[in-house]
Amino acid sequence: MSKKKIKNVLIIGIAGGLAKITATLLTKSHPDIKIIGIDSRRLDFQPSSPNITLIQAKYTRTNFENIFREHEFDTVIHLGRTSHTSSNPLGSLAKRLDLNVIGTQRILDLCLKYEVKRVLILSTFHVYGAFADNPIFLKEDAQLRADFKHPEIRDVVEMDQVSSNWMWKNQDLIKTVILRPCNIIGPSINNAITTYLTSSISPVPLDYNPMFQFLHEFDIANLIVSGINKMKTGIYNVAPNDYISIRDAKKLVGKGGIPMSVFLLENAAQFLKKAWLDGPNYLIDYIKYPCLLDNSALKQMCPEFRFRFDSKDALGFLKD
Amino acid sequence: MPFNFRDILDSFKVPGEEIDHIISHLESQYPNGSDPYGLDLKRAKNVLSILYPIYHKYFKVRVFGKENLQDSAYIVASNHSGQIAIDAMLICLAFVLEMDKPRVLRPLVERFVPAIPFIGQLFAEGGAVLGDRENCQRLLKQGESVLVFPEGVRGIAKNHEDYYKLQRFTKGFIRQALQSGKEVLPVAVVGAEEFYPYVQHSRKLAKLLNAPAFPLTPTMLLGPLGLLPMPSPVDIYIGKPYQLPSDIKPEASDSEIAPHLDNIVEQIKDMILEGRKKRRPFWANKPLEED
Repeated sequence: MSKKKIKNVLIIGIAGGLAKITATLLTKSHPDIKIIGIDSRRLDFQPSSPNITLIQAKYTRTNFENIFREHEFDTVIHLGRTSHTSSNPLGSLAKRLDLNVIGTQRILDLCLKYEVKRVLILSTFHVYGAFADNPIFLKEDAQLRADFKHPEIRDVVEMDQVSSNWMWKNQDLIKTVILRPCNIIGPSINNAITTYLTSSISPVPLDYNPMFQFLHEFDIANLIVSGINKMKTGIYNVAPNDYISIRDAKKLVGKGGIPMSVFLLENAAQFLKKAWLDGPNYLIDYIKYPCLLDNSALKQMCPEFRFRFDSKDALGFLKD
Repeated sequence: MPFNFRDILDSFKVPGEEIDHIISHLESQYPNGSDPYGLDLKRAKNVLSILYPIYHKYFKVRVFGKENLQDSAYIVASNHSGQIAIDAMLICLAFVLEMDKPRVLRPLVERFVPAIPFIGQLFAEGGAVLGDRENCQRLLKQGESVLVFPEGVRGIAKNHEDYYKLQRFTKGFIRQALQSGKEVLPVAVVGAEEFYPYVQHSRKLAKLLNAPAFPLTPTMLLGPLGLLPMPSPVDIYIGKPYQLPSDIKPEASDSEIAPHLDNIVEQIKDMILEGRKKRRPFWANKPLEED
């Protein structure tokens, strides 16, 4: 069922940097492919291939179903999770809940209704939460605790839970893969951690120094393209084998930041948040406590897959 | 004998070559100089230089039973004493400073420790790891030894009349040993109880401050100086490794595990008794007949 050729693909969130790279790689590896790229954001760019068609639409609206009706998608790649970034006009929790949770549920229901063969959903390592008592490497079956402390991140956790429940319920009908990548960085990615790393006024913890994993945008796109047909239904952490402390990561990017006690910063976060690049509150925990991923399930599933860049290489791309 | 300030200073001098040799040996085990748990050999070297004279000259640590230690991964199980975890630091230092092949012993710490600003980081840089089952198994699997105190807070936070009375051992470390197939290495520390010779614990204050324990000692009247531990000489005894039978499963009932736990506790008790008989004189030593 799932090993059939990839012909018609729907990529959700095509305005994002990762989605653009994924679409380009797909057209290169499958020359006959037809890709519909959809996003609720403005699509003021030209697709990299004539095989890619862009549609601006909200996938919580009724007419979204028409797209499924008109194209017989065999593959749906959901990269449309909106996150809290300063450049994201849809950053409020209510809107993110609508798009990430209600939207994802709708996409999945349509996949089932229109007999899509395979679905890939990009979640995030944030779902595990950064806690002092995290085991050093989190496996896929670890509890999703992110929203225990930060309700503003509950859309991310709920989206992951909605997707996994749906995945197991329909595992005999449709192949579903949920990826939980570590920090994705790269020239095309504009997320909170990139803003943090590339800012010379972001706080650098004096009292904590957790380890981080960084994934280059090309590697995650490459994994999606090469793995979508190979990976069995399930949840996979995606992270390179190496790690780097947050202080060394800042040094490597070449942006010093402001050394300060995160303990004090946390208490002043409500005030500083406004001055500090509109960074989300939960990010403070992620620069305080470790949240490293165990990648053994992915290695077992895709033994031949190799990351082209390790964490340090990926950080190198953020240098000026 | 005339007072010679230079001699005193010299006695606290850190042998740089010895430290360098130890660190270069450890670098061969951790080529990056770090690990995902937060170990940082560069920072550990600086801390080691500070702790070296404290280990040798202040607590005058002696280690017995080094011959029992092979080049292998163990679950090192020790009695816990001294109000603050200086005993853990001294055992870890013994494994780095006194062994033919220096090694980073990984103490498994309580869940609140990594959350403490600065302290959690300092512990991690020295090798401490959150006391989590997965962390423990992962470390043992990769050939590292872990240090556990099965008495927990009950052991370290005792009133002075209970010094050297072993508290109830939890069985978790036995299950970890069964799961990993590694041996348990019993260790006894003698002398740490007298770091604070007269202590009473206030449960009410501990509860009020949401702290695991709140020791009160008369030296507290001296202010911060009174918090310094007494220079009680410390002896560390390393026992014979204890191999659990391979036919017991990690999920075995408590009654199946209990005889082995008793054997390990007895071994530690015997070492403590022997250590107290042979210990060096110190004004605060608790006499054996007070037990």
